[in-house]
Amino acid sequence: MKIARRPFLALGALAALGLVGVPAFADQATDKMQTEKAAQAVDTAKFKKDGPYKIGVSAGYLSNSWVVFALQHVRWEASKHPEITDVIVTDAAFNPAKQVADIEDLLRQNISLLIYWPVDDNAIADVLKRAVAAGIPTVQAGGGFTDNEGTVSNAYISQWQLGEKVARQLMADLGGKGKIVAMLPIAGTTAAVDQLDALQTVLKEFPDVELVSTEYGDWNRAKAKQITENLLQRFPKIDGVFSPAGQMSIGVAEAFDEAGRLTEVIMSPGDEYNGWLKWVAQHKQGGAVTFPTRAGQEAVKIGVDILKGNGVTRGTAVPSIYIAPADIGKYVDEKAPDDWWASELPADFLPKQ
Amino acid sequence: MTALSAYRTDATLHLAARYAIFVVLILVYGLAILVSEAFLQPSYLFNVLRQVAPIGIAAIGVTFVMIVGGVDLSVGAVISLTSVLCAVQMNGDAGNLPLAVIVACAAGILIGTLNGLACALTRVSPFILTLGAGIAVLGLTQIYSGGTARGIVSPGFREFFNYRIFATVPVLALAFLGLAALGLIVQKTTLFGRRLYLIGSNRSAARLAGLPVARTIVLAYALSGFFGALAGIALLARSGVSNTLSGQGLEFQVLAAIVLGGTTFEGGRGGIAGTVAGVLVLVIAFNLVNISGLPYHMQLVVMGVIIILASAVHGGLNARTG
Amino acid sequence: MALKHRTEKCAAVFGQSDAQSKWLRPARTDVETVGIWALLAAAGLAAAIAIPAFRDPANLANILRQASVLGIIAIGQTFVIAAGMIDLSVGMIAGLVVVLSCLILGGDPSLTLAVVPMMLVLGATIGLLNGILVNRLNLHPLILTFGMLSILQGVIFTITDRSVGRASPFLQWLANGEIAGIPVSALLLLVLAGLAQLVFTRTRFGYHLVAAGGNAESARRAGVNVRAVRLACFVISGAFAGLAGLLLAGRLGTGYPLAGTGLELDSIVAVVLGGTALAGGRGSVVRSIGGVVALAIISNVLNLLEVSAFVQMFAKGMIVIIAILLNQPRRA
Repeated sequence: MKIARRPFLALGALAALGLVGVPAFADQATDKMQTEKAAQAVDTAKFKKDGPYKIGVSAGYLSNSWVVFALQHVRWEASKHPEITDVIVTDAAFNPAKQVADIEDLLRQNISLLIYWPVDDNAIADVLKRAVAAGIPTVQAGGGFTDNEGTVSNAYISQWQLGEKVARQLMADLGGKGKIVAMLPIAGTTAAVDQLDALQTVLKEFPDVELVSTEYGDWNRAKAKQITENLLQRFPKIDGVFSPAGQMSIGVAEAFDEAGRLTEVIMSPGDEYNGWLKWVAQHKQGGAVTFPTRAGQEAVKIGVDILKGNGVTRGTAVPSIYIAPADIGKYVDEKAPDDWWASELPADFLPKQ
Repeated sequence: MTALSAYRTDATLHLAARYAIFVVLILVYGLAILVSEAFLQPSYLFNVLRQVAPIGIAAIGVTFVMIVGGVDLSVGAVISLTSVLCAVQMNGDAGNLPLAVIVACAAGILIGTLNGLACALTRVSPFILTLGAGIAVLGLTQIYSGGTARGIVSPGFREFFNYRIFATVPVLALAFLGLAALGLIVQKTTLFGRRLYLIGSNRSAARLAGLPVARTIVLAYALSGFFGALAGIALLARSGVSNTLSGQGLEFQVLAAIVLGGTTFEGGRGGIAGTVAGVLVLVIAFNLVNISGLPYHMQLVVMGVIIILASAVHGGLNARTG
Repeated sequence: MALKHRTEKCAAVFGQSDAQSKWLRPARTDVETVGIWALLAAAGLAAAIAIPAFRDPANLANILRQASVLGIIAIGQTFVIAAGMIDLSVGMIAGLVVVLSCLILGGDPSLTLAVVPMMLVLGATIGLLNGILVNRLNLHPLILTFGMLSILQGVIFTITDRSVGRASPFLQWLANGEIAGIPVSALLLLVLAGLAQLVFTRTRFGYHLVAAGGNAESARRAGVNVRAVRLACFVISGAFAGLAGLLLAGRLGTGYPLAGTGLELDSIVAVVLGGTALAGGRGSVVRSIGGVVALAIISNVLNLLEVSAFVQMFAKGMIVIIAILLNQPRRA
């Protein structure tokens, strides 16, 4: 129940890495098609300009650590280019109408390049087209591949491929049989839809594995724990958990632990959320399939290339890599907060601790 | 109908009205047991209590404010702020724990006092004032945190609160019950508690009677801020991270629980016991819907219906007794 | 004349002397009525002088465009609040309309002519439901509309969990288009606000509404049908929320399920900023629009000043606090 959020279930929305948009949803066939489209070249001649450059960043939301890290990667990359004089950031706070307004405001401030991550792809499709028509290149950062006139290029992360890697690792660890549950982020987001589809596609190859329940934990650790406590009541035996989002995985694992059933379950890899990495280091299972925050950095690189008239493709995938539990030591930072992401950001660009 | 039986019916209805929420609680609990036998297991029930600890603790404080005729919509933001402050102060070091708790509580009390002063000394609407205060505090929290959940919880902090006494009762659940009992004692036995009801019923009469109206109101809001801080600490214990958005929106769940429990916006009636019952109704409803395996969107609908029905039963009983 | 008779009867109950001429007298000039205009003028002037980008007609047009959705909701909310109640379900009503209209129009944009009245009726019907439940179940409007909000959100998610459909070109023109440089949505808002203000101040219904909000019991004794007034207010609020939803659909271009989130609280803030007291008993639609525009200007200015969203949130809260501290009701 949420009002503004909620009522406040909309609350859940505020915790989201919600990336909603029809073009960005994928099943296996769509994912392949997106990869092909991403490889297409872009005509950058009409965007070519001389410096100095002003970059506008339209953030759909800035209220979780992932996007904060992504933004810091944007700033870091921008600092490496002396011809970039200014980075203006607007925050739509999960309001698609506000993001439309924000982009309109940015355009009026004469930016040279627009980097964005959407609240909802469709809502801003028109205003992005206007930006492109006005000669301002647009680059989408961190979401799924967006195939729109208004998006010149993408630094994208395929949630489908991420979900597939996680599912396959879980199948391998499970030995190909057992009952599993899925813990997904906010219902309706690209992440939730694509991850579930990837899981179901992989499950077709493993008939002895049964998905007994699909739950939505809204990227909220406490909620994932609460839901898992209920799952533990409903199902006397759960062999595996599919949970690509590390911060929810912690909640799920804690619930199992408190019920004394941690030994009977296998956790899938999560992402490189620091709190999850700490758990993996301690329990030596799970691992991680990364959800790289350096998508922000890639987006700026693509943007600068466009501004200089260099050739770019419609999408550059920021690949997710698998980190085995044994290798987690290189990535975990025991001294940093849980709500932190493994990255290569230099110290002065790290968010406040 | 003879006079005696009419009197008896009336008296029964009066009793029912006062304890309406408890009737609702029993009904909802009964429904829950039908849906799943998990609700008969003590360890599960205490889990449920633990889940609701942050909302419940915050609701205790806000109840004081509502008895005196006000409302506190900033409590969600206070929870967010105090959880971040507490986590940052702790900085992963057990030695910092006392200071962290003190800092968090001080922040809550400060915000509450400011709210109270504004509401007591001016004629502004507490609804909008605390709404605005909540937005401002949330902004402060986000500025302070930079968007991430800063801070590292002290080792042992979460373990202490999640430790189960007799292998069933989590300390956090006990803490919630303890604070509720404390609130109940304050409400029923102290002069402050009685003044709350008097001022809530008729502020001008209370003022004319010489009661320290302004002071009582400020104290009520300060208590609300204090309990909000405790709720923030409870949230930190439960989730382990000071998610800056974790408190947001809770204020309306708190409000729903309190109003369900019989404390109204007009003030002068209701109390902590009803609030605790209201909180339990809400959390049992959420879990009953979740554990029954209903799809996500149905859960929202059912929650809304339960709130309306529970309020209606309550309102109906109250209306009949006038 | 019936109106005159009723007016005098009410006046006798409320103890107002010379009620009729007061009824026809121009508005009073005190902080409550003038405050919001002072705020608006100050904010607008300061912005125009300090920030060149603000003065750009395209920017001003944008501000009006951005304010119109909230403005329409605020009109309905003013009726409800002046009647002593509150409506928290308007955001989700708008959201439901956004999803449904885009769903239908995505299939066939030419259905716009049918869809518009349909959505208005839908909004009004939900409002009717709200009103009936408040009257029959004797519920506090806050709790009832809060529960309704949750139910509506569940209904929206039952229909879809992701953005669907597409708004028709007409709706998009309504939301984004211009006539002679002025946004269509702003003109629509102006007309509606004017009509609503007339209903509010010049009709028997408006007078009864304010009476019911000020003191329901006295109003009832004076012959005002309080239950009917409350019902009507919720219907109006629902219908306006439906209209706002259509406009929002046009603005977004797509049926985003969470589109209406937060609109109800923003509308309440705008109404109170405009000087309408939450206790009910008085209010002004025009001043609520002033509140909406003030909020839009402040948001725009902060964006142009590149103030971070976190600081903007803090500023918004402080503005609300300061505005109501300055704008206190004259009687408790």
